[in-house]
Amino acid sequence: MTVSGIAVASRRSLRRREARVGLLFVLPVLLLFLAFRFGPAIAGGVLAFTDYTIGAETSWTGLDNLRRMIDDPLFWRALRTTLIYSLLAVPLSILASLGMALLVRRSFRGVRLFRSIFFLPVVTSLVLAGIVFTWIFSEGGPWSSLLGAVGLPDGSWLSDTALVVPALVIVAVWTRFGFGMLILLARLQDIPRELEEAALTDGAGAWHRFRYIVLPELTPALYFLAVIETTVSFQVFDTVYVMTGGGPAQSSYMLVFQLYDQAFRYFDFGYASAIGLALFVMTLVVALIQRLTLGRDR
Amino acid sequence: MTALTTPAALDADAGAVPPQRRTPYRALQPGRAGAAVRAVLLFLAAVVTLFPFYAMVVLSLKPAGAIVMPDSLLPWPLSTEAYERVLSAESVLRWTLNTVVYSVVSVVAVLFLASLAGYAFARKRFPGKEVMFWSFIAMIMVPYHVTLIPSFIVISEAGGVNTYWGLILPTLANAQAVFLMRQFIKSLPDELFEAAMLDGCSEWRMYVSMVLPLIKPILATLGVFVFLWHWNDFLWPLIVGQSTDMRTLTTGLASLNAENAPLNVVLAGSVVAFVPIFMAYLVGQRYFTEGVTMTGVKG
Repeated sequence: MTVSGIAVASRRSLRRREARVGLLFVLPVLLLFLAFRFGPAIAGGVLAFTDYTIGAETSWTGLDNLRRMIDDPLFWRALRTTLIYSLLAVPLSILASLGMALLVRRSFRGVRLFRSIFFLPVVTSLVLAGIVFTWIFSEGGPWSSLLGAVGLPDGSWLSDTALVVPALVIVAVWTRFGFGMLILLARLQDIPRELEEAALTDGAGAWHRFRYIVLPELTPALYFLAVIETTVSFQVFDTVYVMTGGGPAQSSYMLVFQLYDQAFRYFDFGYASAIGLALFVMTLVVALIQRLTLGRDR
Repeated sequence: MTALTTPAALDADAGAVPPQRRTPYRALQPGRAGAAVRAVLLFLAAVVTLFPFYAMVVLSLKPAGAIVMPDSLLPWPLSTEAYERVLSAESVLRWTLNTVVYSVVSVVAVLFLASLAGYAFARKRFPGKEVMFWSFIAMIMVPYHVTLIPSFIVISEAGGVNTYWGLILPTLANAQAVFLMRQFIKSLPDELFEAAMLDGCSEWRMYVSMVLPLIKPILATLGVFVFLWHWNDFLWPLIVGQSTDMRTLTTGLASLNAENAPLNVVLAGSVVAFVPIFMAYLVGQRYFTEGVTMTGVKG
């Protein structure tokens, strides 16, 4: 064997060794993904076309689950409630995020403390938030006392079919605004100070500086937030489970709650999977809309 | 606001620097009135943000009985009755243990597995690498709820309901963790890895003594994120840990709440669940904010 032949052979064996090591290091994660992500993702689609339930024969039911979904008034109601909830929660939490980001944008004494306070709800579990807010919205609780004090009807919002969703929206805003605030704050700090200073010297007022300098710089971050918040809103579950159980009179019954209900109370895994598929399509549509509008902007 | 109206043309004057140029940063700061408005708004926002925490703590320190507004919000009389009940209840201690096991084991396992895979994806050549990596990433797009039911069926058929491994195993398939690890390791200088290669370091030693120390920053950030996610997780523990003994703090407290346990007891339990997160937040706030913004908090 020539010297270069040895070099080639050893390089080849090195390459083989590298491939072996690479595969070995990826293997555990790959197996986990096959069992709990790839497999279930495919199975989740397949299950929607069966009548799968634990401990019984499974058979293909074709489009029965989808047909049932279309004929199910509760599904439409859950879908509508989820959309209304999202239409309220997404803009409100983004507005709150934006307002708070602008408030803590410049440094002043104590600004770090305020930022820490506003981020605290983000690290709090939704179950704890749900438990405390159940009391806050209860009959005679702080919220109804506050409303009573300013002369508004002081009933419990959680037992009012029209007000239960706004109550859940308030909790969502409380738990989410700190996240958006942080995302926007990072973008705000990237805006070159010279831009605003120049506008200032040109006599631009605060509103004009915000409208023509700050807002355009924030647009991509706001889009990003809108998509994340919409996805989070579509998947609302913990607070519904803890605070309302979908009630009163199913007026806060939303999609993931219906999925849970169908799967783990009625053990109708097939129908629950069909609802999961509907959620998937909704998320996909939102992502697609974002792609298209962002593409147009560019 | 002062001296803001100087026309731009005046600045073009050579020589003297106009005052607002010398202290441009000041100029963007709000004036006295602006600062006062900001202070009031911040104070109000802080009160609204903190009120639920205050209520949780104060009400958990109330003796059992009816809660009357607004008297109950005063920090007296205090009683540790609810805590005595909660901490002597075997179930709450068990739920705390379960939550610790669920969170800590998951953090260690995710960090280990994701860093191994991320290292391989960033630095090794092997067949199928690109396809594998991008299909992992594609899974970030598939909502949790689509895979929830099949994952439960897998665990349930394998006898994993009401076990720790059934609780933990599916959550280890964390695409975001693999992605972040790969990006981080890719950004490290090539020379480091080449030098170690030439030294004839064994692959395992290279991972332990070189890769792990280098990725410490991302380990901390990701670790905090995974911990937070598991500590606060609800839906998965709700369906897998069905027996009273296998509940976590979140599902256990939700069940207490649903069974109409006295509010002070449920809130004392909530404080118990919140204190570890709060302490960690005080110490390592940077890692929390980084972890949550980097991964886009789990919804």
